[in-house]
Amino acid sequence: MPPGCHEETIGSSIVRASTPAPGTTIVDEPTTDSVVDPDIPWIVLVWNDPINLMSYVTFVFQKLFGYSREKATQLMLDVHHKGRAVVSSGSREKAELDVFRLHEHGLWATMQQDR
Amino acid sequence: MALFRSKRIRRTRDGRFELRLPAEERQLLATLAPQLKALIEEEGGEPSLRRLFPTAYANDAEADAEYQRLMRDDLVASRLATLDIVVETATQTSVSEDELVAWMSAINALRLVLGTRLDVSETLDIEQEVADDHPMASAYAVYGWLSFVLEEIVAALSS
Repeated sequence: MPPGCHEETIGSSIVRASTPAPGTTIVDEPTTDSVVDPDIPWIVLVWNDPINLMSYVTFVFQKLFGYSREKATQLMLDVHHKGRAVVSSGSREKAELDVFRLHEHGLWATMQQDR
Repeated sequence: MALFRSKRIRRTRDGRFELRLPAEERQLLATLAPQLKALIEEEGGEPSLRRLFPTAYANDAEADAEYQRLMRDDLVASRLATLDIVVETATQTSVSEDELVAWMSAINALRLVLGTRLDVSETLDIEQEVADDHPMASAYAVYGWLSFVLEEIVAALSS
């Protein structure tokens, strides 16, 4: 599995990509941007902000993606020192779900194609 | 400050978490949570709220508009639900893990909104001296306290 790519997590409560959480509608197909290439994976970035606590960010990465404490800490430090870090990648649908869960936890996350 | 030394949140053997908050702190939360709820429900475009509902597509305004159209209501519902749980359990001596996770989310949301209003920077020292007659003195104190409780929650959930 390429680094940063994560399909399922054990012990987390994430909804599998094929069954969206009740009440949500996941966009299946790119509907707006005509230059979107469906073969290029989508990446999710988390951006640094002055408010979120380092311990909190690390914990959220562990909780949402099942990363080890070491990996989650490294990602958090990347966000902190470099301004942003890629925390996951995959299909557009998965990226939107990951962004949503990160927003739920108050992290500043965006998604884009990995060009 | 001695106030900050005793553990506020503690995992117990039955898988629940003991809440050892003094009455004033419970009251503070029971006051703040409904305030944030009201702010979110107002939908008035309050600037400090923008931090709770960020953009998803940084490079594509159209895609982001579509994303928000589909997902915004769910995010609002999720935030309101966590605030409700805090209000409902504020006086309890213990909470379940799910409830504590909701506390974590709600308290972080309060920090985000308050922190945005106070325009905190990374170099802000939570315990720095803010003069008693500073107009935002109590807000800084609340912000510091929320940070402390959040650290406790993360530590307890990680234990």
